[in-house]
Amino acid sequence: MIAVDCASVSVGRKGTSLLRDISFRLNGAGFVGVLGPNGAGKSTLLRVLAGLRAPDAGEARWNGLATPRWPARKRAAFCGYLPQQFAPAWDYEAGDIIALGAGRASAGDASPGHVLARFGLTALARRRWSMLSGGERARVMLAATLATSPALVLADEPGASLDVRHKLDLLRRLRSASTSSLVVAVMHDLDLALRFCDRILLLEEGALVADCSPDDLLAGDALDRVFGLRLQKVRRHDDHDWVIGLG
Amino acid sequence: MTPQTDRRLQPRRFLLLTLFLAGALLFGLVAGHEWASPARLARAFANSGGHDMTSQLLVVWRLPRVLAAAMVGALLGVGGAIFQGVFRNPLAEPYLLGASGGAAIGATIALLVPLGLPGGPVLAALSFLGAWGATWLVLGAAGLQGRPDTAGLLLAGVAVAAMLGAVRSFLMLALSDDTVNLQVVLSWTLGGVQTPDAGGLAILALLTAGALAVSLPLARGLDLLGLGDDQAFAFGLDPARFERRAVLVGAAVVAAAVAFGGLVAFVGLIAPHIGRWLIGPRHRALLPASALIGAALVAVCDGVARAALPPAEIPLGLVTALIGGPFFLILLMRRLRA
Repeated sequence: MIAVDCASVSVGRKGTSLLRDISFRLNGAGFVGVLGPNGAGKSTLLRVLAGLRAPDAGEARWNGLATPRWPARKRAAFCGYLPQQFAPAWDYEAGDIIALGAGRASAGDASPGHVLARFGLTALARRRWSMLSGGERARVMLAATLATSPALVLADEPGASLDVRHKLDLLRRLRSASTSSLVVAVMHDLDLALRFCDRILLLEEGALVADCSPDDLLAGDALDRVFGLRLQKVRRHDDHDWVIGLG
Repeated sequence: MTPQTDRRLQPRRFLLLTLFLAGALLFGLVAGHEWASPARLARAFANSGGHDMTSQLLVVWRLPRVLAAAMVGALLGVGGAIFQGVFRNPLAEPYLLGASGGAAIGATIALLVPLGLPGGPVLAALSFLGAWGATWLVLGAAGLQGRPDTAGLLLAGVAVAAMLGAVRSFLMLALSDDTVNLQVVLSWTLGGVQTPDAGGLAILALLTAGALAVSLPLARGLDLLGLGDDQAFAFGLDPARFERRAVLVGAAVVAAAVAFGGLVAFVGLIAPHIGRWLIGPRHRALLPASALIGAALVAVCDGVARAALPPAEIPLGLVTALIGGPFFLILLMRRLRA
């Protein structure tokens, strides 16, 4: 059972408002994409959902309980957060980072060795962070995040700094995690968002302007309006829609 | 080239460090303005004190001094590892960041101000308060949100250390009345281990063991902090609360080191560095490794301090600064260029 509520969440800093009165409810497993132009408040929303940022009004709730009221260890086991950028202060080994991620739950099946094997990272266990490629780092972070099989997975622009192949690989892994977990990901790439997500939250200047399925989003004109583009849909042979921005 | 830190090798590396410490202790016993050969040492210890003057000196005077130096070094190593962990910066060091200076002010006040209270506990308490307050001053000035950058952190530390040095000098000038206390305070500021009596040595041993005992539970939190505040939070840590706790422990460890060894520079910087190089960055191994390395370093430096300029003794802090200063500069240059 997993339910995430955003109840009238507002975040404002010195007059400028980053999020305005955002409310929605996410129920059960699935892949939810957060879309919007730069500065729309996507990352802020994700940080509020993660409990990393306290909203100035309203609250985020997991399973009915406001995020600050979750005890630290339970909170960490329940929710995995995949940051956009990550640079450890010390040159940890891949296995160290996975051990730290796995150690947040008391469950025995999340032993670092198991997690490494589950994610096919055993060969990298002793490799130092500085010696890992971008794609390997992303896989290590994903494994550390998913180590405890969290019910809720929050990802801030997964794969933003990766090449297309590694980005797709990362999104596929998140997609397969979304069969049993609720994955909420800030997405930059419209094509990929429409292809991977079951549901889209569209933000514009801190406000939620659309909350619907990718098909409904494509049928309406909200995307064109928010991004200031004229978008053209192209149907591919495998039934996926491509979106092309025509400026 | 970074040596392998395969965990299967760790027991062997700890054995190596222990042997290194044993060698350092031996050097400390041999060195002095009168050098004693290992055979001479063996003879002195064999008839436990002996009756001749040299044996007496070695057993009653030099042995406790060497042990005290090693334990002060262990405290500095642990304190340095905690500071670097909390600040997430390999250049953080209690001496550079003013914590040692704060402790020295506390000690100065305890020694020079007639408070009419029992000396030992007051000195300990004031040293601790000084170290703790100074650390928070630096934390506040540098800002600990996320990862404070190296330059900002060091500048904040330098500013706080300079202020504390001025306050300490003022206190020394204003409160001195040609008593012996001023001499004690001065030796404090230059760093130097006094030869403790049996009681003092026992207290120091308890403090050292206690420092390790309260530091080891911080290991997981320090590991997590190294991932950055957000990731530490996501992995179940409350970074702000943990930092408060770690700074408290770090200040207590530094205060203990300062109370027994004065202002000894750079050991808290070098020991965790060598430790990370040999053992890796995980704090459960790094904290005890830093203790062993710090102990060996100070035991050797104290021996040098006693032997370099006979019959005078040069302050321990000078020796460690001469060795540690260049080490620090090289690290700083490498970091600022990266």
